Amino acid sequence: MMDQERRPLQPLHPAKQLRRVLAPWLRRLILWIFALWCLFPIYWLATMSLKRQVDAISRTPSFIFEPIWDNYINVLSSGEVWRYFHNSLIVACGTTALALLLGIPTAYVLARYRFFGNADYGFWILSTRMTPPVAMLIPFFVVYVRTGLFDTYLGLILAHVAITISIVVWLMKGFFEDLPSEMEEAAFMDGATPFEAFRHICLPVALPGIAAVAILTFLFSWNEFLFSLVLADRIQTVPVGLYNFVGYQQIRWGELSASAVVMLAPVLLFVFVFQKQLVRGLTLGAIK
Amino acid sequence: MTSPAARERRRFIALMLMPATVLLVGLTLVPFIVSVVFSFSNLSLVTPDDFAFIWFENFGRMFESAEFWNALRITVIFTILAVAVQLVLGVGIAALLHHETRSVPLLRLIYLLPLAITPVAAVFTFRIMLNPSLGVANYLLKQVGLPPQDWLGTPGMALATLVAVDAWQWTPFILLIAAGGLAAMDEEPLEAAQMDGAGPITSFLHHSLPMLYPYLAVAVVFRSIDAFKTFDIIFVLTGGGPGVATRTLNLLAYKQGIEFLSMGYAAALAIVMLIITIIASQAFLRRINLFRPKAAL
Repeated sequence: MMDQERRPLQPLHPAKQLRRVLAPWLRRLILWIFALWCLFPIYWLATMSLKRQVDAISRTPSFIFEPIWDNYINVLSSGEVWRYFHNSLIVACGTTALALLLGIPTAYVLARYRFFGNADYGFWILSTRMTPPVAMLIPFFVVYVRTGLFDTYLGLILAHVAITISIVVWLMKGFFEDLPSEMEEAAFMDGATPFEAFRHICLPVALPGIAAVAILTFLFSWNEFLFSLVLADRIQTVPVGLYNFVGYQQIRWGELSASAVVMLAPVLLFVFVFQKQLVRGLTLGAIK
Repeated sequence: MTSPAARERRRFIALMLMPATVLLVGLTLVPFIVSVVFSFSNLSLVTPDDFAFIWFENFGRMFESAEFWNALRITVIFTILAVAVQLVLGVGIAALLHHETRSVPLLRLIYLLPLAITPVAAVFTFRIMLNPSLGVANYLLKQVGLPPQDWLGTPGMALATLVAVDAWQWTPFILLIAAGGLAAMDEEPLEAAQMDGAGPITSFLHHSLPMLYPYLAVAVVFRSIDAFKTFDIIFVLTGGGPGVATRTLNLLAYKQGIEFLSMGYAAALAIVMLIITIIASQAFLRRINLFRPKAAL
């Protein structure tokens, strides 16, 4: 793309063209302003968590202040945060395991086999995403209250699987479609059954994709708010705990922010470590 | 024609589809049908013993109530504004990013953050920043000589703030998809056009943008479906207020069903929401042909 020996008649590279209307410094400035806009709330949350109460609610918000760790010490020693963490961890891990276990075989068949109704099945799975949450929430709520699934880990996990499985199937289908089908065809030549071809040939190669989908499912479950809020009471997950914090301690912004930072830690870790996998997942497979 | 191999193939397909199908039927289809049934009833957990089928009364009540039409209006305005802002901003930034050469990985990492962050945590931060007297937003406005705003206090402003916060969270979604589309694009026609003397903006509008359509169509459909049923941002930031100024259909259904426990009426609201979503997206989704299996065994 960047060949230096340009023949006289060759057109300018599009990048060069754009440079004419928009100076590089201006383009860079816009890109960084947008980055600042994306970062600012997170930055502000972090600074709030390091402020004394007087600084946190001062009328002239301070950008320069003496950081203190008291908020973190208070929050981490109270045990509340750990409880939310513990709950979210169980629910998110359970959801991820179950959704993957159930979703991967379906995704494989949808990606590899032509059968009657394949496209309709794919559309149906995706259409479950269209359902307004309340349409699912009300039956869940009524049934959970009657059957004792209300306020249980299993109940929350099942609800989260119901929400995430369409994404799991959708993304895994994309990953399987990217793998060459010649692999399995060769296995069939050697007399492998369809299941053996799936289990021993395709699945190991698809592991990176599976990992990416697992991370995304975990993230969705970790961040999910509405179902966790309604279908449980004592078992509060991270977002629900945070929401209730806001109600209880309106003014103690420092501790509130410190809790939020602690609860965001796994998310931020995921973003930094698994950036590439997340891009594909968070754009719902549109970007390979 | 049913050879053993063909039979085994069919059995394999059925077995592989079974687990997720059972689960999807049990956890999404059945609840949905139950919701439809509820929507024809007067089910209320306040008076569970008075259960009776009242058929279309819920829908009649809904269509006659001002709160439904108000919520529908707000939901449609919010969805259109939010998706439009995100589309323009997302594609614009993606086009700029496409030509950038320095620190692109870092920028992409930063752009990814709003998408991944727990929405409740982000929205809670916005609440602090937008506090009329103590928040940093009004402080910054004052520094540049602009009057302070009551961000969530007046109806118009509250809706605008919600659109902005939704744009904060979701512009990167369109941005990343558009950037991926641009990266995958064949640039030859573009170069040919520029050889013919087309300017960069003309060539972007006439050549890059049409090639981006398939990507943007998917992005806009998904984004619109989700914006239509936005919950976290509105619930935590305004709770539907001030008054009912930002009470969308989803919040209205939540309020009726979960707070007032009139499940029948809330179910009817949800069904109407779903019908609107399906009508709006069905034609679009079918056309972009997402559902053909690409390889066949």
